[in-house]
Amino acid sequence: MTDRRIWRTTTPSNVDDELSQHFEMLVDRYVKDGLSQADARAKATERFGELKRIREECHILADQMEHTVKRREYFDEIRHDIIYATRLLRRAPAFTLVAILTLAIGIGANTAIFSVIRSVLLRPLPYPNPEQLVQLWTDHRALGRANPEWFTPPELQDWRTQNTTFSGMAAYQGGGATLTDAGDPESIPGFLVSGDFFDVLGVHAAKGRLLTVTDDDAAAEPVVVISNGLWQRRFGSDSSVIGRRLTLNGNPWTVVGILPPAFHAPVPTQADIFRPMRRPANGTCGRSCIVLRVIGRMKPGVTLAQAQADASGIAARLAQQYPETNAKVGAWLIPLHEQISGPSKAPLYAMGGAVALVLLIACVNLANLLLARGAVRGRELAVRAALGAGDTRILRQLVTENALLALAGGSLGLIVGVFGSSVLATLVPDSIRAVQVIRVDTTVLLFSAGITALAAMLFGLLPALRATRANSHESLRSGTRAIDGIRSRLRGSLVVAQISLAVVLLVGAGLLMRSFLMMQRVDLGYRSQGIFMAGIALPAVRYRDPAATIAAINDVLGRLRSNPAIASADVTDLPPLAGGGDQDILAIPIGEAMTGKEPPSIWYRAVTPGYLSTMHMRIVSGRGFTGENRAGSAPVGIVNEEAAEKYWHGTNPVGRVMAAGRDSAAPRVTIIGVVASARHDGPNQPYKPEIYLPYEQFPARAVTFVIEPKSDRQSAITAFREALKATDPLVPSPNINDIESIVGDAVALPRLYATLISIFASAALLLAALGVYGVMAFSVAQRQRELGVRLALGAAPTSIMGMILREGGRFAILGVLIGFAAALALGRTVSSLLFGVTPFDLPTFLIATIVLAIITLMASVVPAIRAMRVDLLSTIRAE
Amino acid sequence: MPSPTSALLQGTLDLVVLKTLQWGPRHGYAIARWIEQTTDDALRIEEGSLYPALYRMQHRAWITAEWGTSDEGRRIKVYSLTPKGRAQLRAQTAQWATCVSAMTKVLQAAG
Repeated sequence: MTDRRIWRTTTPSNVDDELSQHFEMLVDRYVKDGLSQADARAKATERFGELKRIREECHILADQMEHTVKRREYFDEIRHDIIYATRLLRRAPAFTLVAILTLAIGIGANTAIFSVIRSVLLRPLPYPNPEQLVQLWTDHRALGRANPEWFTPPELQDWRTQNTTFSGMAAYQGGGATLTDAGDPESIPGFLVSGDFFDVLGVHAAKGRLLTVTDDDAAAEPVVVISNGLWQRRFGSDSSVIGRRLTLNGNPWTVVGILPPAFHAPVPTQADIFRPMRRPANGTCGRSCIVLRVIGRMKPGVTLAQAQADASGIAARLAQQYPETNAKVGAWLIPLHEQISGPSKAPLYAMGGAVALVLLIACVNLANLLLARGAVRGRELAVRAALGAGDTRILRQLVTENALLALAGGSLGLIVGVFGSSVLATLVPDSIRAVQVIRVDTTVLLFSAGITALAAMLFGLLPALRATRANSHESLRSGTRAIDGIRSRLRGSLVVAQISLAVVLLVGAGLLMRSFLMMQRVDLGYRSQGIFMAGIALPAVRYRDPAATIAAINDVLGRLRSNPAIASADVTDLPPLAGGGDQDILAIPIGEAMTGKEPPSIWYRAVTPGYLSTMHMRIVSGRGFTGENRAGSAPVGIVNEEAAEKYWHGTNPVGRVMAAGRDSAAPRVTIIGVVASARHDGPNQPYKPEIYLPYEQFPARAVTFVIEPKSDRQSAITAFREALKATDPLVPSPNINDIESIVGDAVALPRLYATLISIFASAALLLAALGVYGVMAFSVAQRQRELGVRLALGAAPTSIMGMILREGGRFAILGVLIGFAAALALGRTVSSLLFGVTPFDLPTFLIATIVLAIITLMASVVPAIRAMRVDLLSTIRAE
Repeated sequence: MPSPTSALLQGTLDLVVLKTLQWGPRHGYAIARWIEQTTDDALRIEEGSLYPALYRMQHRAWITAEWGTSDEGRRIKVYSLTPKGRAQLRAQTAQWATCVSAMTKVLQAAG
């Protein structure tokens, strides 16, 4: 301390003083030695030399010293500010704890949600130059099909040869297989891909090599590429697996390479094996065989518009060349990132907006708290001001306190956010997460720091500015009980703001919750409890003959039906909510006039006779299948009401005939019944025209068993596995899925969103309640004298309580009105997330009002009661 | 005629000033005067070197300064040694002794 004070003695202005003193002393000496004044001065001047240069040099040095001193003073002041702030915060532990926790929760929640948004929506795909990757579709909208469609192999070939804007196009289709080598037979998910699939994606093998175009030749050796996960799990990370022959679906495939650990195919599902399609040149899958999904990589510098134009041109040429299959078929290009993450954008951003509102409410709460503290600290700050601390100094002190709070809250919030992010990573379904990994990366860290700073500014600036106003003089004069009308009005409006934000969140939560409940209540049209399903795939190599397939399935069914643990057992080749639907035959009702607008297509399912009744599906007209409907007998079918309406225009189609396909060799199916429509794609999906065919007449090797246990589920499962093993021990034992969980998964996303936003709304309500309580309590504390006087003059205590409650009520009414207006304005933006409710749902708004009213009442009650009990004498004595 | 002090390196000027202040606080003029008197005018410190040196040493916290009043009523700035300065003085004195004895040996050495 002493050093600093003394250093200050050398300043640029002092330099001149010192030098001139020295000069004078010289002159005096010369005069004493006998020179005249003038001579003495002249001698001294000569002696002093280039005075100007000396002065300049000394000035510079003095300047440097001053800078050093100032800098050290500055840091000392800051250190002092921090120590002082820490002491202050420690002396008010309740306030500090509440503030830090509030901040931590707000920042943590925002960080967690943003980590999902960043991972799913904002991070580029994990392939080189991902902006060049595009998902290609054919556009059948002119033919009445609203959704983009897949490709046929000849189409892909044409597109490959005719395009000018793509460096590569690759195709893929479902291609899982059963692995029957050492160990239990296992059903492994995977894809059949074109040879250039990995080239287009830009992926390199971690070990060995990946597929090339030569592998795609039908005559080439069958090779397969496996994922890192499969390699670790099934082969124990043994490098010798490369070159080994695996038996997939009964055939040998040689492993040539292992994919890198981070690789994920551009689809939401997991895939562990990739085999080349090896499509023979004279394949039967021609221009109506829509089976391929295609991705492409645009050449560098090509824009999407250019690629789209190129593709549309190709499609137009094909439409001319092959009118029967390609008329009016266009091209539809979607950037791969958009393809994968597009559907998640609206709900994720909605969640982001909701959680941001929570942080906003938290900041408003804090600002209010700080304003209240500012009022109380008015005297302390006024004394400091009087002692010479400038406005900037005081402002800096307050900013330091806020910065400390923000730092503590932000750091804790980051920890909360990282934890929350890992929780969300488990809750977010694969369909949303798709290709990415949900994690906290640098962008998320920067975001967290950014909102911490923003929050600090939001909650800190206003109270800090208020505190340094000239009001400080008043505080000194009138004591701690500063009657600050403006300040309390400000805090009142902040509380109203909090309430309105809480209302918005409450309404949002109510709408999403109702959407979810509505979706749950949808009658799916089939049974949703009491049965379980298991899917198997019989390998082609041992079941070439359909008769063998039928025999095997019937064998299993026979064993199951004779088992006492099982009430009923049936089979279908397409279970509900499977997400599939590759099945689509161009069906032509014989004898009906074609409406011409769209090709009549119908979705088909092969089922055993008992399936419809097991699944509680209502036969509306005609009859179900019986044992008579087997291979060899006349093909029959049961259509659903949707198909009857669409293709037979409401007349009863029983007895009519339909052709299963365009060409003349297609079997003709006689309709024997009509069943009620079912929502096989999900509770929020429309009905589709469907036809059910007898399994024995249209057998498939991949089937799903539908089993109803008699009483004990576990013994039924055991019975099923045993029956399967008894019939064919090489078929892998499948996963068992209860229909309840399958149906539950269909609404998993709406449930997640409803849950999240309900959590946010609850947090918002809690914060708003705290805010109301804080302001009311403070107002009552400030008005103690006035209340005491009123009571002494004979006012009934209940009327005092009523007065306070009415004040709280005013906040609530204003807040609710503003909140409603905001909710109405925002309603349209979330309408895409809603199901079965409009954004202007009256019951939701009503409930929100009631909840808010109750919360505000509860928050005001304690201060109101305290107001009743004010004792005038002790109040006056305390002043 | 070049003054004897121009032959002095800046470091030795520091040493001389520090030594001067060892005998008590002094202002700039008094420091110069004391050196002149002690060396019988052999060393004459130029003001142009003295004050920059004083400021530099003050920046390094070897000396401190205080404004006060002289006997004649003048406003003067008085410098004094700090503990750090005292340590510097000891160190530099030892260095100087080493230097001197080395030079002496060289100059007295026979070819």
